[in-house]
Amino acid sequence: MPAVKKHRIVDSITRESIISNLANSTRLDERGLLDYRNLEIETNILKDKTNGSARVKLGESEVWAGIKVETANPFPDTPAEGVMTCNAEMLPICSQYIEPGPPDENTIELSRVSDRGIRESGMIDIKELCIKEGERVYSVYIDVAVINEDGNLFDAVSYAATTALLMADMNKFTIENDEVKMLDEKQPLPIKSVPVSTTFAKIEDKIIIDPNADEQEMATARVTLVTDENGKYVSGQKGKPGGFTFDELKEISVISKEKGDEIRVKIREAVKNGS
Amino acid sequence: MSKNNIERISGRAPDELRNVSIKAGVIKNADGSALIEFGKNKIMAAVFGPKEVHPKHMMISDRAIIKCRYHMMPFSTDTRKRPNISRREIEISKVIREALQPAIIMEDYPRTAIEIYIEVLQSDGGSRCAAINAASTALADAGINMRDLVTACAAGKVDGQVVLDVDDTEDKTGEADMPIALLPNTGLITLFQLDGNLSKEEFDKALELAKTGCDKLYKLQRDALSEKYFDGKNGNKEE
Amino acid sequence: MKTNSVERKYVMPGDVVIEGDHNPIANVIKSGNKIISTKIGMAEIAYNGVRVIPLNGTYIPRMDDVVIGKVADMNGFAWEVDINSWFFGILTGSAVFGRQFSSSRDSMKSQFDKGECLIAKILSFDRTRDPLISVSGPGLGKIKEGEIAYITSSKIPRVIGKKGAMIKLIEENTGCRMTIGQNGAILLKGTDEARTKARNAIKLIGNQAHTSDLNDKVISLISK
Repeated sequence: MPAVKKHRIVDSITRESIISNLANSTRLDERGLLDYRNLEIETNILKDKTNGSARVKLGESEVWAGIKVETANPFPDTPAEGVMTCNAEMLPICSQYIEPGPPDENTIELSRVSDRGIRESGMIDIKELCIKEGERVYSVYIDVAVINEDGNLFDAVSYAATTALLMADMNKFTIENDEVKMLDEKQPLPIKSVPVSTTFAKIEDKIIIDPNADEQEMATARVTLVTDENGKYVSGQKGKPGGFTFDELKEISVISKEKGDEIRVKIREAVKNGS
Repeated sequence: MSKNNIERISGRAPDELRNVSIKAGVIKNADGSALIEFGKNKIMAAVFGPKEVHPKHMMISDRAIIKCRYHMMPFSTDTRKRPNISRREIEISKVIREALQPAIIMEDYPRTAIEIYIEVLQSDGGSRCAAINAASTALADAGINMRDLVTACAAGKVDGQVVLDVDDTEDKTGEADMPIALLPNTGLITLFQLDGNLSKEEFDKALELAKTGCDKLYKLQRDALSEKYFDGKNGNKEE
Repeated sequence: MKTNSVERKYVMPGDVVIEGDHNPIANVIKSGNKIISTKIGMAEIAYNGVRVIPLNGTYIPRMDDVVIGKVADMNGFAWEVDINSWFFGILTGSAVFGRQFSSSRDSMKSQFDKGECLIAKILSFDRTRDPLISVSGPGLGKIKEGEIAYITSSKIPRVIGKKGAMIKLIEENTGCRMTIGQNGAILLKGTDEARTKARNAIKLIGNQAHTSDLNDKVISLISK
């Protein structure tokens, strides 16, 4: 596929068969409109250098997440809270359409949407990440590498980040004579909930879940909705230059919870098998 | 090896490699790819091309250009690495490109670019050698015309003893590290770096030792490719 | 030297295929008195020379090849067609509209829009310029229906088979009609079931191209 344009082009006959399949409520890969592709979650794949790690394959989309827990100075306005950042990278190995270099707007959106899902769900209790108020806090870095791109990276990145966090540990510490001393002993991260991201796309007037690369390219609108285990909606993002109706969005919110619960079970299972 | 061997931290013999495994064709979207696990190193290489050159002014009318990027993920190191490309990564990208280039028949692909991307997902000592082994496997997997594969391994000196394949714990106390890459069928050395200090005798010994490491890596590269292309048959010449 | 015996073996880049005075035909280089493979593939040593039939790599355009591509871009004068190769196939406006073509008069879009698929022929290619392609001729032109399956272009001869035997075998046993692009793109037409069977057969050839008795393997796959 060497000669390359900057973005994916879905050819006319594929486009037509995607649309005619959707009219019959099926998809080219024989899924139903609201079926996820095969989801594989593997933990501890980078155990030598990270505090927690996971590999997620969603269909042919593959991402690796690694957690590093370090210590840092707290921000002046939140002296008793730890720091968390989530960063996703589209590596140039993942697709012929990705060039090396600083992240483009799509990659930055991907990072920020993944970050918000984890942050707003309160997944990590950042108050528990305080070591010494105003002086030292834990800093949790979530880095996610996109290895192979085949659509719906929002969900794949989110599942990998969440699973890696659930697997992660951090060093214990003591305070002696006002001095912070890190110990060799480990403790799990203070986890409060497990957010799950679900992503939908709209092609013609059909709503599908977990779009692959071709479907994502064709879709007029895309929406990601993140729910926690209490059934709360914690973050969301609509993308692409089309839109959804009120009814569509309400319907999506219902499905998002159902599918979110199913996937949460899979994430918990992977964590249980890995620890 | 010599009679009075000093025990290595890893428990390896002086001429013993770490555990290595190579798998070809791991990234579906790439024209060629490979994953190498070399000790604690986990490195993926992907090759795209030959393809159109961007920007156009870099195009060469009678041969291909080779682009190579060696990049480490932030979580690949002991303390988190900042995401932007460092000077070290730029240098390694350059020496890897120059190690691979002699094997690629660039005249067969005028006005095109061959892109080699290397991603370090978990690092250990000797990541550049591991990366070259993966990248060369990925190039062959992409079907780029090559004179030979490129295979790489380091030798060094730890506790006064010349040893094969220095890992990162040894590197901290070691006195020398000398990575080389070579075209195994012609014996041409295409990567050579050295830091530390070696006597003439040690230098010769390290070079010979590194070559035995390269021979082993070459066999593993062939195994990986024959696994993908020939169902594992006829991977090694001696068979 | 025997005239009709062919010796075959698996090779990788750098492997010595044979030593001595032999004629290098394809995917091999001569170094001293050695013939060295430059690709992963099956080496064939025949009376007229040595070649390696590669198991991977990119399609290199050849004059008169029929290829299947999709329109990637266009300007007022030509379409750029993705033909699964290093460069885009260039389909000029005048090759479609004739000599009277003027970019202001004829709407390029009315003929081929972005993303549309077509069957074309390579008119010329010499590695110094992008290949020129044409859609005039029997069987060439826009593709309106079907699906496209892909395979490494060097394996296309195996999809065709000896004198078309493999195509015939697949078509007769699946009811799917196939049009072969030398660039590794194969157009499939037929019912969903027929296309699925043909697609699987092509996939099998892709994975097993280096093995013998492909015919039997394909038959047993299709009749499953």
